[in-house]
Amino acid sequence: MTVDDEEDLFESAPCGYLSTLPDGTIVRVNRTFEAWTGLHREELIGERRFQDLLSPGGRIYHETHYAPLLRMQGSVREIAVEIVRADGTRLPALVNSVLRSDEEGRPQLVRTTVFDATDRRRYEQELLRARRQEREIAQQLSASLLSGSLPTAPGLEVEVAYHPAVSGLDVGGDWYDAFWLDPGETVGLIVGDVVGRGIDAAATMGQLRSAVRALASTGLGPGPLLDALDAYAERHDVGRMTTLICARLELSSGELRYACAGHPPPVVIPPGEPPWLAWEGRSTPLDVSSAAGGPRPDAGLTLAPGSTLLLYTDGLIERRSESLTDGMDRLLEQVGAHRDEPPATLAPALARALRDPEHVDDVCVLAARVGA
Amino acid sequence: MTALQRNNVVEHGRRDGRPMVFAHGFGCDQNMWRFVWPAFAEEYRIVLFDHVGAGGSDAAAFDRDRYASLRGYADDVLEICRELDLRDVVFVGHSVSAMIGVLAAGAEPERFGRLVLVGPSPRYIDDEGYAGGFTREDIEGLLESMDSNYLGWSSAMAPVIMGNDDRPELGEELTNSFCRADPEIAGHFARVTFLSDNRADLPAVHTPSLVLQCSQDAIAPDAVGEYVDRQLPDSRLVRLEATGHCPNLSAPEETIAAIRAFLAA
Repeated sequence: MTVDDEEDLFESAPCGYLSTLPDGTIVRVNRTFEAWTGLHREELIGERRFQDLLSPGGRIYHETHYAPLLRMQGSVREIAVEIVRADGTRLPALVNSVLRSDEEGRPQLVRTTVFDATDRRRYEQELLRARRQEREIAQQLSASLLSGSLPTAPGLEVEVAYHPAVSGLDVGGDWYDAFWLDPGETVGLIVGDVVGRGIDAAATMGQLRSAVRALASTGLGPGPLLDALDAYAERHDVGRMTTLICARLELSSGELRYACAGHPPPVVIPPGEPPWLAWEGRSTPLDVSSAAGGPRPDAGLTLAPGSTLLLYTDGLIERRSESLTDGMDRLLEQVGAHRDEPPATLAPALARALRDPEHVDDVCVLAARVGA
Repeated sequence: MTALQRNNVVEHGRRDGRPMVFAHGFGCDQNMWRFVWPAFAEEYRIVLFDHVGAGGSDAAAFDRDRYASLRGYADDVLEICRELDLRDVVFVGHSVSAMIGVLAAGAEPERFGRLVLVGPSPRYIDDEGYAGGFTREDIEGLLESMDSNYLGWSSAMAPVIMGNDDRPELGEELTNSFCRADPEIAGHFARVTFLSDNRADLPAVHTPSLVLQCSQDAIAPDAVGEYVDRQLPDSRLVRLEATGHCPNLSAPEETIAAIRAFLAA
């Protein structure tokens, strides 16, 4: 039977060993550590502290996380650091430490093992890079799909406040659109919400937005337009469960036709009267009822001059641990408080006031005011 | 939601004592003061709290706009003081919270009696004629360090970290809980902390202040502590033998003695 030599076990272990005083001053290292770093024990023991061997960023991490944790828990494990070698290159390492204390609990010694994590760190960085890239692409895609100017004309002001979710990793699928059907006379107003997040959601949103524009230009009213969009969604297997509101507004008369596919109702703000929710023209989200239901309904109302129409997504009214009714009440309350503001300040004010504090969902508010 | 809930405010000590508010720095939570505050509990009213995103705070209260600068964190301190109706406060701030205390005292000077600044730095990045100790690249390196170290417990640990722990089997793995933080918020706090420049705020704060400077502090070097002491109109600097950046953990007795002497003076 061969018995491992204890001294050799320490010196040539397949990990670096490092013992330090509580302030980090190195008192012992093994040969493996010397070999990995090119630093020799004569220049380390009593001369350098463990944290002196780290990259500057790692040093901050050491002081703000590693050292406090070690003192409070008595041990830390699997902390990723970079140790600066004698030649200036960096050794990515995972370190574990234990704190040895005397009988009265006073720290005496820190024992640290160092594992070479070069390959692991490279892979981690690839994963992080991929995650960041996907997020950036989705954000750019979504931003470019939503770019373009809003229609303006005498007797029409349109403004949009759009805030993509920030606390999650991906962009969401809210979209808006406002375009001339008959320049200066008829305008199409759309707000929708695609299920899902990230690149897929952004791409779906782009397809539906183009499809809605194309269908609207053929003269279809809001209800029939949604029927056609259902068929499009089914044919191309895209955008199932999307909710949206389609509205068509005649500027000269203030006549509005609108249809809601599973989407929160628009708010009408007449001048000098309380705001109200337009609950008509409702049907299910996209591509749910196409087999079962008949044609989707739309409804009409007339906007008196000076009225504002508000289209929005559920990010404005939905909050965790709260009913939708509460959200709607809060919306009407805030609309009441800002009712006399023009769209340019109304839309951002509502988005700011009503946004879920966690910012987990996109928020989109479109405000359109007719007449003077 | 009250500020007391949002910032996980915990009180100890004498209810009728002079209030002593302890603020933790970047990285951990109110546990950073566990070896220090008990020494003052007999005489003072002790108020501990977690910055939003740290410890037991309500991470849902995090708002990028509100916390885009240290002023948002200082506003939280002021809200806590208001809700508890604290006056003549002894504010003890570690690391970045030293500057948060300076900002709070600058905004409502009548509320603060003394400031104890442990390892303060008004600017971490070198500038012309000013040695903060770091470059912008160093701070990027810190963010990378944080990224590498969150990998292990970002998604699996999220429910536990966020306090919705219905998976007790993860409890065993919940080491490092003193430094737990939502990675997004922690990264944001790191940026705000280490890229801030609050040098111009110092001369306006006349609250009597104590600067506690450690030996060999890699985060707030000697020259920075001296700078803070010079710029504050009513300040004294005490050099601790303690090394590193966290004398509240590594040398609590020395830290307590220095604070006591300052409060007695």
